[in-house]
Amino acid sequence: MTRLTLAALALLAGTPAAAHYGMIIPSDPMLAQEEGRAVDLTISFSHPFEEDGMVLERPEVFTVTHAGETTDLRGALADATVMGAPGFTLTHALGRPGTHVFAMTPVPYWEPAEDAFIQHFTKTYVSAYGDDEGWDAELGLRTEIVPLSKPFGLWAGNVFQGIVRLEGEPVPYAEVEVEFYNEGQQASAPSELMITQTIKADANGVFTYAAPAPGWWGFAALNTAPETIAFEGEEKPVELGAVIWVHFEAWQ
Amino acid sequence: MIRALVLTVALALAGPALAHRVNVFASVQPADAGEVVVVEAKFSSGRIPALGEVVVEDAEGRVLATLPLTDGTARFPLDRGAAAGGLSITVRTDDDHEGYWLLTPADLGEGA
Repeated sequence: MTRLTLAALALLAGTPAAAHYGMIIPSDPMLAQEEGRAVDLTISFSHPFEEDGMVLERPEVFTVTHAGETTDLRGALADATVMGAPGFTLTHALGRPGTHVFAMTPVPYWEPAEDAFIQHFTKTYVSAYGDDEGWDAELGLRTEIVPLSKPFGLWAGNVFQGIVRLEGEPVPYAEVEVEFYNEGQQASAPSELMITQTIKADANGVFTYAAPAPGWWGFAALNTAPETIAFEGEEKPVELGAVIWVHFEAWQ
Repeated sequence: MIRALVLTVALALAGPALAHRVNVFASVQPADAGEVVVVEAKFSSGRIPALGEVVVEDAEGRVLATLPLTDGTARFPLDRGAAAGGLSITVRTDDDHEGYWLLTPADLGEGA
């Protein structure tokens, strides 16, 4: 391969080798009563392995769901800079035990490099006060990963399983991208192929992944919406992402 | 004060408490006369303990009340004077599962 070819390939690939992720990262995935009564959330649209932020506009929807009751938190989001780009923070009191599911529907993001809009329906589950009831809650989002393993309380090395749903139906052989939130650039990848790993669900839309290290891991199931969005006079495709963030704990 | 509460409870529940735990939660709610503390207990399976005992202690470990737990709940009037330093609420079910909740001064709106 000539240098010229390599250069051309590099140009084609562009800088962001990693995938886009909606992110909702809480200060604690399992809040114990001795640790306080609230979690701090950091909300962004980012390349998590490279800690490269993109602009996240105020989401269309931002909610928390607990015991079947959904509360609108959109107005409580505070502007913040996350990974060098506009994002949000939120401190939210967990008033009762059980699983509190934070969910975001962002404004579709125009990505010129992909000539498409991206909309990632993003969720993170937080358990409060030793009670995990509601850990498998399905919110009824347009596209959603419904956990089959608890989305918290996993050891590094455990598998996480989820079912990919689009418009309420399982998505056979759905493609799922997996990426580590590489906070502080603690990890390096031997190949760009390892920054975002891609797996597929089975015929029932169920996927399985074993995380090799503790920390936050993002799972994004990607599908194309039937509709398009007009951009500068042209209709553009819309990528619908079902994103869930799962924390794996270090074996002690 | 929270540390003192935690220490008291940790000592009281040392050892087998973790293996036989019941989840306990307590909150302050308005009542016809004043306020009540509502105690709720639940096994990790989601089942509700039918019977048990609730022990309420102040921050110094003095027992303020012992109440029956019925269908996973108990309630008692909140005495803000006695509870100023926080309350430790321990539930022991009839089949010997134990758990606790600490109502801290902040939980009680004492601004601690």
